[in-house]
Amino acid sequence: MAQKLKLTLGNVEATIELRTEDAPESSKLLKSLLPLQQRARHSMENGREVYILLDPKTEVPDENQTIYQTVGDVLLYYKPSVFVEPDWTGYANQMPVLSWVYERDTAIMGTYGPIATNVVGTIIGGLEKLQTEAPRMRREGMGTMNLSLIE
Amino acid sequence: MTTVPKRKLLLDMDGATATASLFDEYAPKTCEAIWNILPVTGRSIHANWSGREMMLHLEGDKILRLPQEVPVHSNYIYEGDIHYFYRASSLSRGKQLAYSAQFQRELSEFAIFYGEPAGEGLSAYDPPRTPYADGIHVVCKFAALDRPMPQAFKMKCESARYEGLKPLTVSRYE
Repeated sequence: MAQKLKLTLGNVEATIELRTEDAPESSKLLKSLLPLQQRARHSMENGREVYILLDPKTEVPDENQTIYQTVGDVLLYYKPSVFVEPDWTGYANQMPVLSWVYERDTAIMGTYGPIATNVVGTIIGGLEKLQTEAPRMRREGMGTMNLSLIE
Repeated sequence: MTTVPKRKLLLDMDGATATASLFDEYAPKTCEAIWNILPVTGRSIHANWSGREMMLHLEGDKILRLPQEVPVHSNYIYEGDIHYFYRASSLSRGKQLAYSAQFQRELSEFAIFYGEPAGEGLSAYDPPRTPYADGIHVVCKFAALDRPMPQAFKMKCESARYEGLKPLTVSRYE
């Protein structure tokens, strides 16, 4: 039976199905990090992507990767820190993140081109709510994102 | 030889201010058109394709539909640049629910690149954005923030990433 996660962003809730067959190591890693709770961040370089930062020590394996991300993808990858913080930190030029894509015209980019990202899950319920809530937060301020395992 | 003083802009982002110099020699028609609609006030929104950029949408009688005055190869983006940007409704993709209704399709705006990375990300690699044809997609660098850029202004822009829309007024600085 597929493993599912509950994703909440502000006032809305969605369901993620883990890609345990395509991305077993990434799925295992993500489950080990749960529950996650953090102020959500909106991408400023990739389009319609919302993300949270993971522990800097998190090691993301190369698995089930693509540069052709699509709506509903849940991703694990290293985001260049220049897209995260105002000042490029000399000791850390990339940060592990968990993100999801809620609209088309989105592609995950580095400073020199596309970044291959692990597709660790798919949003299977509540996507339309996220498609309303994320733009609302861009206008009114970013709220909290929670991610937990559905037992 | 006399030197003509540069026309300047004053940007007030929720109380944090910066000045900018117009590129009258470089893009005179664009500068004049913009000068003539000032002051412009609105709620600016942070970019999600182009790095550290604040966008101020031009609404109502302030909307501009200008031709491409400057060659695109001269429009490289640097920190501090201010661009006029126009995108026709035919280039709109996906839902633009973060924008007000007028700009969910046609877009006319000032693009203020307040920090690095400026103009990087998806916008730099997005083929649908590259026709640069009048009436479809126009981008013209028309001013730059004066150096040094006030840190308070930059951080106010950065805070929009987390706090949402920020009031912004662009006016003549005389």
